[in-house]
Amino acid sequence: MKSKVLVITSGKGGVGKTTTTANLGTALAMLGKKVVMLDTDIGLRNLDVVMGLENRIVFDIVDVVNGNCKIKQALIKDKRFEGLCLLPAAQTKDKTAVTPHQMKNLTNELRKDFDFILVDCPAGIEQGFKNAISGADDAIVVATPEISSVRDADRIIGLLEAAGLSNSKLIINRMRHKMVKRGDMMDIDDILDILSINLLGVVPEDEAIVVSTNRGEPAVLETTSRAGDAYRRIARRLTGEDLPIDSLEDSVNLMDRFKKLLKLAR
Amino acid sequence: MSVEVTPEGRGAELVINLKAWGSFADMKAELERNLTTIDSYLMGSMVSIDVGNKSITERQLREMEDILLEHGFHMKELINGEEPRSDPGRLRIYQGSEEAENPVSNNTTLIYRSLRSGQKYRSEGNMVVLGDINPGAEVIAGGNILVMGALKGIAHAGAYGDESAVIAAYRLNPIQLRIANHITRPPDGENIVVNTPELAKIRAGKVVIEKLKI
Repeated sequence: MKSKVLVITSGKGGVGKTTTTANLGTALAMLGKKVVMLDTDIGLRNLDVVMGLENRIVFDIVDVVNGNCKIKQALIKDKRFEGLCLLPAAQTKDKTAVTPHQMKNLTNELRKDFDFILVDCPAGIEQGFKNAISGADDAIVVATPEISSVRDADRIIGLLEAAGLSNSKLIINRMRHKMVKRGDMMDIDDILDILSINLLGVVPEDEAIVVSTNRGEPAVLETTSRAGDAYRRIARRLTGEDLPIDSLEDSVNLMDRFKKLLKLAR
Repeated sequence: MSVEVTPEGRGAELVINLKAWGSFADMKAELERNLTTIDSYLMGSMVSIDVGNKSITERQLREMEDILLEHGFHMKELINGEEPRSDPGRLRIYQGSEEAENPVSNNTTLIYRSLRSGQKYRSEGNMVVLGDINPGAEVIAGGNILVMGALKGIAHAGAYGDESAVIAAYRLNPIQLRIANHITRPPDGENIVVNTPELAKIRAGKVVIEKLKI
């Protein structure tokens, strides 16, 4: 299989880029893929904390691009999955420590050894964003069902298109179906209407995410987590499986599905 | 012109040269004057201050840092002393005048505040931190490290290979400990809470942690 470089971006901060990266990376590794996650949020690194790998960091992405160490030395093997690696960002430098050209070389180098290269993009549209998208084949845009997030996602999609990444896919994160039903939250169609890109998945709001993030264990490892389940399905879609966006992701619970069926029968 | 902007291919680095000014009051005035002349687009940049070989106290350093912050800049390092710097990013806060000849000797650097994530301090001698070292912050010393607070980040003692260096902290709860060329981290999945001061050192080729006995 040809390896894929996917950048996970959003424009707005706090919508779940890092959580999505950690969970998709882990879910893809669970499917037996070789995955490396790149944290490009230099100066504000988080991915290592979310993955629970913070205490293993010796070298970081800046050391790699500056030639202070080899890529293999800086890659941190996940404690749970053999095929999962993390390349952490530097914490004591800033975004300008890496250039887009260096990022491109780095991702090309990583292509040799991995099936999926997930690039966790920093918030914003400045240097860090430009670094993260250079060298990417496709982008995954994360948005929450809020007008501000959708607005930023729209801007990001425009910038991605300008950079030649026209096949971006959307993950709607922190969806609360009950609120949508009440008409208090944008629904999937509203968002797709504005952004008009392909939907990769919908992740429901889930308290388990907070718990798992604090523990350094991605939610996909938790079989009971609804968000984790959504991420597992997204990962299967990324490997080329054709899964419909429905069931657990789309309806609140089984009761609702029954009700729907009853309505149809009538 | 005493403000140098060195682009170095990646962002601008500002160096403000205050060597020519004798008293600290003059230095402060000159610093203020310089900062107002710097273009606002550089705001938020890291600034290094070169004071030549005058000795600067911790209090004076903090005053200068406050001035920088007021103008929207961050202190990167204080360049103190005339010897060539082998490693950028080193901050020497206080250098005893009698030892100025031999910087790699037993100087002790005092950091009188807490270090936050992303802050990194180096010293060629010993280092004493009167404050906490938060997760994501890092201190590197050629000699020993003493933290009069909680060490929750990374500490590297004996950075030039001195295996007899020790790391002591009022509360030792680090992400990583490094002594000379040994790196250790706390075991996974265990959250050991110890409410006494502890000391880390190398014994029989391994980093061990013991209760700090005074």
